[in-house]
Amino acid sequence: MNSLVNVGVSQVGFAAQPSVLRTILGSCVGICVYDRMKKTGSLAHILLPNNPGDGNPEKYADTAVPLMVQRLIKEGCKKEFMSAKLAGGAAMFKFNSNVALGQIGDRNVEEARKMLEKHGIPVVAEDIGGNAGRVIDFFLEDGRLKVKAGGEEKLYYKV
Amino acid sequence: MHEQIQKRIESIITNLDQLPSIPDVAGRVINMVNDPELSFKSMADEISKDQAITTNILKLCNSAFFSKGKEITSVDRAIVTLGIKEVKDIVVIAATREVLNKAILGYDLQRGELWTHGLAVAILAKKIALAKNKKAVADVAFTGGIIHDVGKTVLALFVSNTFKEILSTVESKKITFNAAEREVMGYDHQEIGEKVLAKWKFPEVLKAMVRFHHDPALAPKEFLEMVSIVHIANVLCLMGGIGIGADGLYHELSDVAIKALGVTNKELEQFYSDLPVVLKQTKDML
Repeated sequence: MNSLVNVGVSQVGFAAQPSVLRTILGSCVGICVYDRMKKTGSLAHILLPNNPGDGNPEKYADTAVPLMVQRLIKEGCKKEFMSAKLAGGAAMFKFNSNVALGQIGDRNVEEARKMLEKHGIPVVAEDIGGNAGRVIDFFLEDGRLKVKAGGEEKLYYKV
Repeated sequence: MHEQIQKRIESIITNLDQLPSIPDVAGRVINMVNDPELSFKSMADEISKDQAITTNILKLCNSAFFSKGKEITSVDRAIVTLGIKEVKDIVVIAATREVLNKAILGYDLQRGELWTHGLAVAILAKKIALAKNKKAVADVAFTGGIIHDVGKTVLALFVSNTFKEILSTVESKKITFNAAEREVMGYDHQEIGEKVLAKWKFPEVLKAMVRFHHDPALAPKEFLEMVSIVHIANVLCLMGGIGIGADGLYHELSDVAIKALGVTNKELEQFYSDLPVVLKQTKDML
């Protein structure tokens, strides 16, 4: 049985096989971290890149990543078996380049990459940018990621 | 352009019976609140005529978002405690739920997603109105948010057959999704929404908010601010993935709207950052 867990905006979900973590993304980024030995993982739905110190670590890329790693290690996962996938970070089709929020998707992706690199977790797949919304399903049985966007589905198996 | 589809849409919008209906009380109450002489009693009497809706209204009055603490057990008390404008918005929520709270398959929205999106846009629109010192019209911003996408409920059937074509038109002509809807089907969901509101006898300002929520630059001057509020609230909710469907972010974040309200980059980011709170308030209402 694949039990489906919905992860909301600025939440971090944790699960082990055979569960599936799902979220829906616009400019937000879904950060998926997977331990291929423990078959356990975490999905963060981050809204913004940097935490101004507002007590919501799950909402920002720079504080969500350490939170995910710590919790996974507490569950018995090991950094050397972890890998990450990124999805989301879309932008509005048209906007004035003076509007800083227009680039928020790119900034979210950049910060997520930076934090994962800092923790030594390789990013093995990305489905980012563009203008489509994405529904992503992160399968903990094998770490694969299904991305549904613009009426089409893509699968990323690498872990 | 698919002439046959265009003709079918035309026959729907010229035949009122084929457009979605809501309880008449909503149209009456929404027009009543503009009357400065309106008495609490006449509004309460009007609402109480519709028993089915009254039960729903009382439930909403006691939800976390609207409640002022004390339990409300009658429409009279609701109006006294919450005020005429709040109760009007509650009537609109109760009246439109059936039409909006369903799957909109052509736009790839599961049951509840369009409804959640509308409520979230309503709550954020109200926040924006208050932040920009427009307290007197914050309730109108809220109402506009709830119903801005009502046209999608009618157009979805045709979008499911033409989606690929609409999307390829977006890409080849570099135009937004609703502009491509017009290219392919002759109409976009904003125009259909305006027709629905005309059937419901909703006022001009709300019709403008529905008709121009993606195109504030085309809105009549007197409604530009209200249209801009819903425009920005809608874009931010979509960016946050709330009710994002097949049309994705293939829309514009309009500079005209940003300038009309005098929203700074910092404020825009703050409204976007408020989304988790908005979503929590939305869920309290469901």
